[in-house]
Amino acid sequence: MANLRTPLSVAKGRGSSGSGTEHFWHQRITAVALVPLVIWFCFSVAALPAMDHASITAWLSAPFNAILMIAAIIAIFFHASLGLQVVLEDYVSQHGIRTIAIIVVKLLCFLLAITGVFSVIKIALGS
Amino acid sequence: MAEFNLPINSIVKPGKHFPAPEGAVNTRKFSIYRYDPDTGANPRVDTFDVDMDTCGPMVLDAIIKIKSELDASLSFRRSCREGICGSCAMNIDGVNGLACTTALADIDGDVAIYPLPHQPIIKDLVSDLTNFYAQYASIEPWIKTDTPAPPDRERLQSPADREKLDGSYECIMCACCSTSCPSYWWNSDRYLGPAALLASYRWIVDSRDDATGERLDEVEDPFKLYRCHTIMNCAQVCPKGLNPAKAIAETKKMLVERRV
Repeated sequence: MANLRTPLSVAKGRGSSGSGTEHFWHQRITAVALVPLVIWFCFSVAALPAMDHASITAWLSAPFNAILMIAAIIAIFFHASLGLQVVLEDYVSQHGIRTIAIIVVKLLCFLLAITGVFSVIKIALGS
Repeated sequence: MAEFNLPINSIVKPGKHFPAPEGAVNTRKFSIYRYDPDTGANPRVDTFDVDMDTCGPMVLDAIIKIKSELDASLSFRRSCREGICGSCAMNIDGVNGLACTTALADIDGDVAIYPLPHQPIIKDLVSDLTNFYAQYASIEPWIKTDTPAPPDRERLQSPADREKLDGSYECIMCACCSTSCPSYWWNSDRYLGPAALLASYRWIVDSRDDATGERLDEVEDPFKLYRCHTIMNCAQVCPKGLNPAKAIAETKKMLVERRV
């Protein structure tokens, strides 16, 4: 049966959620943070004396490197979860699947961020 | 998920060929999308050989000639033939535009004409813009004031404030922008699209309007507004040379500014 709601009622839908700006703003802030962090990461890894386990852990044990690495990990996974959410909202039209996918992505990003931060701390504190 | 399997009757098949009248020497091939939902048949692409020696310079001239001389059943919208009514918006040579202001000389080789992308088809080149117009109505495109107008004169606006409307009030609602936008293709049930958001911005920046905050509230939504990913197809195809993407970016900026 044809939809008997008026076109205006369909277009208005459930109205405005009053959100989205926070998401947009956080995505920009993390993007800005990632510019220097990624440049720093690439240059300092390239400047390592050797690409082996010992030199990487020694590098990551320096407090300056450990702090920036943790900042980079948090920014990367925060940015990734925001970005992947947009991709899912864009391309997954079935609402149930979309919601489940967003939850999985968010939790996975959270878990990976914690794993990364924990790893850096473990290396830096040398236990 | 995305629609990977298209419905069976959405596949476009080759259609009929209409040769030019006897004696035509300078002909050009037009491939035109044809679909009539009432017949239940698949859409098809008919080809028409048009005698260019007796055809006007614009795409609209050619399709009017086709309708008059080759196939009277070809359906399309047209009215002003001078780029102000927005009726003859269609996809010409892969780009949305107005048939009346698109010159045939600017198109290389054969001319392919399709309806505006990703809209329901009423017939041939006539797409169903019901949702597009309803979205325009949903942003309430009229002045809203809390203060009554002065009794002895109209509401005043400084020339500087009037200038802020340039680039947004000229929209003719032809739907070239919205239907060229991938975000609008995938989420037009919730995303307002560039045309409605340009109209919304036109009222947000109008100095005489008292509902700026309510208008910003109304578009502050992950789908209504933030589906715009600055793809810029809207600005590229606008036959009036407007830039809806910039208006959307300005709207986002105002939303950030009012909370930071």
